[in-house]
Amino acid sequence: MASTAEHPVHLQHHFVSSDQQFDASKMGMWLFLITEILLFSGMFVTYTVYRVWYPEVFDGMAVLLDWRLGGLNTLVLLASSFTVALGIHYAQVDNKKGLVTNLILTFLFACVFLVVKYFEYSAKIEHGIVLGDGFAPHGVSHGVDYATYDVMFAQQFFSIYYVMTGIHGFHVLVGMGLFAWITIRAMKGHFTSAYYTPVELCGLYWHLVDIIWIFLFPLLYLI
Amino acid sequence: MSHAEHHITPIKTLVQVIVALFALTILTVATSRLDLGAFDVLVALAIALTKGALVVSVFMALKYDNKVNAVVFGIGALFVIVFLAFTLFDTAFRGDLSNTTEGTIMEQKAAEEALQQREPDPAALQFNRSNE
Repeated sequence: MASTAEHPVHLQHHFVSSDQQFDASKMGMWLFLITEILLFSGMFVTYTVYRVWYPEVFDGMAVLLDWRLGGLNTLVLLASSFTVALGIHYAQVDNKKGLVTNLILTFLFACVFLVVKYFEYSAKIEHGIVLGDGFAPHGVSHGVDYATYDVMFAQQFFSIYYVMTGIHGFHVLVGMGLFAWITIRAMKGHFTSAYYTPVELCGLYWHLVDIIWIFLFPLLYLI
Repeated sequence: MSHAEHHITPIKTLVQVIVALFALTILTVATSRLDLGAFDVLVALAIALTKGALVVSVFMALKYDNKVNAVVFGIGALFVIVFLAFTLFDTAFRGDLSNTTEGTIMEQKAAEEALQQREPDPAALQFNRSNE
């Protein structure tokens, strides 16, 4: 292990030690995550207000969202959180192969999540459930007559659905970009047990994206 | 400057947590298929909070981390509750606090009937539940 006198390459001059630099970065990330939580909480509050006002509409509309696909995506995102945590474990024990493998797996799970979301969105758009003025449910699918769902405040439910899952999906997309970058750096051998801060911070971001979905799934699909 | 100080979560712990998270996901789907009435929302939220707590404490390692990060997270969570609660103090009780009109009961009844005529047909709120 390098001593402070040797000054490791990753250590920026304004930090006393690698540990201080690591802790500062991590606390900065937690502060950023709080702003993310507050961003999403605005939407969760909107959901709650409308649900309290129109419980029967929200209860009825959840039937239109397929809990099997939502549940599958929940398992996929949980699995990706697990692979990130494993990746960090391997980075901490200097296992480069384990780190790279788990980062690639995380990226692939994120792809699966967005592919499933694509099929869910297109099935809804096909039946006239869209964001904005074009909202006009029609057609029959799996024994469900979409026209019977064209009731007051149905549009509000689906606006909330599209905006919340859309912004969440955008975060998944950003996460994929981050993991592509981190994977390439890991392959080049940039990370060791002495320095793996970017892996740790991307991991924290990814877990938060997972937590948002943990709440979105039951609120939109189940209850 | 020893990095040995960083907590390394054992793989066994990570596996236990992911198994618990999968099990809780199945549980929340299963309980939502039952008709629990008003408890539906509470059960789903309790399970989601448990899952979130597991991810935050173990996967994000807040349990083993520098306590200042737990303080940051705790304050953030507190303000989410303040945001939600204070908004609901307004929206959930609109009309309850200021219904001290000077009109007679007869006048209020007439106004209520006039409002009810503008309500949507209750039949329009019957959903097709055939796939449940």
